[in-house]
Amino acid sequence: MSPTCQFPAPKPVSSPARQNNPLYIKNCSTTYPDLKCHYVAHTSIDLIEERISATKHADQYLGLLYAMEELAVFGYITNTRVKFIIVTSLVSDVSIKDQDMKNMFRRIHNAYVTLVSCPFHDPDGKQPITSPAFEKAMAEVTTI
Amino acid sequence: MATAVLGQDDRRLLAESSLDFLIVEMVDLMHRSPSDTDTTETDKEAAYFKLETLGYQVGMALVERLTKDRPRFLDNLDVVKFICKDFWIALFKKQIDNLKTNHRGVYVLTDNNFRWFSRMSGDGANAEISRQAYAHLAFPCGLIRGALGNLGVSTVVIGEVSTVPQCTFQIKINKP
Repeated sequence: MSPTCQFPAPKPVSSPARQNNPLYIKNCSTTYPDLKCHYVAHTSIDLIEERISATKHADQYLGLLYAMEELAVFGYITNTRVKFIIVTSLVSDVSIKDQDMKNMFRRIHNAYVTLVSCPFHDPDGKQPITSPAFEKAMAEVTTI
Repeated sequence: MATAVLGQDDRRLLAESSLDFLIVEMVDLMHRSPSDTDTTETDKEAAYFKLETLGYQVGMALVERLTKDRPRFLDNLDVVKFICKDFWIALFKKQIDNLKTNHRGVYVLTDNNFRWFSRMSGDGANAEISRQAYAHLAFPCGLIRGALGNLGVSTVVIGEVSTVPQCTFQIKINKP
């Protein structure tokens, strides 16, 4: 990123499971309360479900799902039906490149795969993720 | 298992023989009963169930890793074909030799030279060897069930061995 333009900081990153309950929500901003992140995450899940049942395209990255107020929501679904959602705040003079978003999602996916491969991780999908390695990886993704 | 060139890749390498030993010992461990007198039928079923559950978890984790960079699957047949090709290659370095389906949710996978049976031999009749080899099918059945389960297909997987080293896996998709 060039020093003159301001890259909008990603706000919440959430990874809901296939039963559609959020596994992990990280709120990186100070201006939005956590409750709003939950609300946005749940509405995004509905949108993702709509999107994947409507079009049969075989890509994992779903792109911009919708934009509300000044937040833009990007979605990504894996082959194992786990959905990742990134919400960013829109700054009108900066356009977010698809490639950057794909990179971020790829890193989140890698962190998730490492987490699931751990034999001590319980994959039933009802409890939130509490692994310190995963949280560290998420912190690294969201600081870039 | 990894085909990296030694010294030029930072992936960790593992001796394949230690994996073979682990798999064989795992089955033996589950069958060791606390009383040495005799193992009842329920003990054998309990051991089978434990091995299958282990395979289920490993299959789920494996499939997360293997489908990471792949485009999404279109339907159940696509998922089963993935199991026959990429999944089997990742596990056993070969593909399934034969896939049959009745297009109504039942698939039969035949492997003519099952890798984990390739080093097994016995001095009894063929039927006796097959019966003993059946216990070693619990973990692979669990692997397949875990892989399919994580991809969204709920199934029942039954393994059969007629003559070592050939074995078949029958996949029945559960109706929702």
